[in-house]
Amino acid sequence: MEPKAEVRQFVQELLTRKGDRQPFSDSDSLLLGGRLESVDAVDIVVFLEEKFHIDFAEVGFDQALIDSVDAIDSLIQTVKK
Amino acid sequence: MSAHVGANPEVLANRGLNGLANFRIIPRIETYPRIVEFVQKFAGKVLILALFGAGLHFATEDWIPLTLCLALITFWPSRRRLLVTVATQLFTFVVPWTKFPHPLYTSTLILFVIVTGALLFWSAVEWPRSLVGRHPIVFLLAGYALLVVIAAYFPNTTPWYLTVWDFTYTFGIYLWFIGYSLLDRRSADRDDFSLQLGTYRPFWGSTATPFPKGASYLRRIEAKDAHQLAVVQLKGLKLLAWSLLISVFSKYFGLFLHNYLAIPTFNQTLYHSVMRAPYPWYVCWASLASAFLEDILSMCVWGHRFIACCRMTGFNALRNTYRPLSSRSISEFWNRYYFYFKELLAEFFFYPTFLRFFKNHRKLRLVTATFAAAFFGNIFYHFCRDLNFIATLGLWKAITGFHVYAFYCFLLATGISISQLRASRPKPSGFLRARVAPVICVALFYMLINIFAYLGRDYPISEHFRYFFHLFEFTS
Repeated sequence: MEPKAEVRQFVQELLTRKGDRQPFSDSDSLLLGGRLESVDAVDIVVFLEEKFHIDFAEVGFDQALIDSVDAIDSLIQTVKK
Repeated sequence: MSAHVGANPEVLANRGLNGLANFRIIPRIETYPRIVEFVQKFAGKVLILALFGAGLHFATEDWIPLTLCLALITFWPSRRRLLVTVATQLFTFVVPWTKFPHPLYTSTLILFVIVTGALLFWSAVEWPRSLVGRHPIVFLLAGYALLVVIAAYFPNTTPWYLTVWDFTYTFGIYLWFIGYSLLDRRSADRDDFSLQLGTYRPFWGSTATPFPKGASYLRRIEAKDAHQLAVVQLKGLKLLAWSLLISVFSKYFGLFLHNYLAIPTFNQTLYHSVMRAPYPWYVCWASLASAFLEDILSMCVWGHRFIACCRMTGFNALRNTYRPLSSRSISEFWNRYYFYFKELLAEFFFYPTFLRFFKNHRKLRLVTATFAAAFFGNIFYHFCRDLNFIATLGLWKAITGFHVYAFYCFLLATGISISQLRASRPKPSGFLRARVAPVICVALFYMLINIFAYLGRDYPISEHFRYFFHLFEFTS
């Protein structure tokens, strides 16, 4: 599965777990827009660490980096390079 | 078929619930295309500014300069961020000039703090590999803690004594604002200091907690076109209306509780408990519940006003308080009750701890980070904010007298940790078990720990425990 699809599926699961079944696009702001919370940001961080070996202590953390599916995908691509 | 389904009592009940959920005291005017279109026109802008200004008239005495600043930014949105800086400087130096006891002295102190912030920001950006560049927040907070210690032990016989305290106090007001600009140093699209300055106690209002966070957040929530601006401003107008409605309700609710029902305030019941003349346990419960509700209402009034003004400026910030009483977990309430304080603790304490320590122990990692924020961060924030206790009691007595609030932070951090660890467990089903019981339990938890959320230094923790046990009739 493509990284972006994996990210999208994970975010979808997070939203569903919170009872949020509204559709979302890849560019939708999820954390800064209020659909996901800090606790969910933690889940995203752990997911990215485990799945894509991203070390935020090195990259530097900012909620904007994981605010949308597009942003997360962009982060994964940057770290890969 | 549809008639049959429509007659189903469960469906009817659901429709009723949905109807109730969709009911709005203030309609969602930002979703009405004609209104949104109108607000983009000159007359629409004037009307919304007039309505907002009229609302502000009931909320703050500085409503005229505030409305004028909002008008300037509304009609010149392409220079929004720069105008925010200008308006913020006006509200820092010019608007309160006559209210300062010594205007020139106070302004000089503020200017000195801002210059210190600018130097820190510049140093962190220019020398990213230096101590300031690598750990600017540690440098800032440790430096401030050191400043507090110096002020506490500064000889009070010297003429500089008051100046040192005034500077420490002024720096404390700006501490977290400077912190947010330092957090922004690594952003690819970082603002220069002239724009960061607009977030240093912005003109729409703030407490010691920055509303709404720093420049990085403002960049991401800024309205990009006239349509977005109209929608955001309509949301701002609605939020101000909410603030005013809650303010009126809060006033009469307070009168009803304390005058009509004669329920004493929490401080009164605590005082009577300390004096060994406690109110009956049920009165203490009523007092505790009313204090809890009044606190939420008060938080809504000023928090909504700050965010309403921020939205009117063109930034689609999230509300500070959003339906806290519907929270079904302790961590959810913590997120909904005072959002920007929670965000401050998350940004400065939670994430840095979470990203560095115990990476291979998921639960320990989460609990450690939660304690770093809700326990240590919370204590640090409040201890450094309430400097008057250090000035009057001395550093040591101020620290030892803080043990009651520290215990509150411990209970809070423990509650949030457990709540977060249980978050992934399957939710109970059924209306009572899934909706009613969790909401009551969460409210009870916060009501009870609020007995210890006492920032004064008057009573030892034993008195707070005495009060706690009295609620269950364990003490007379």
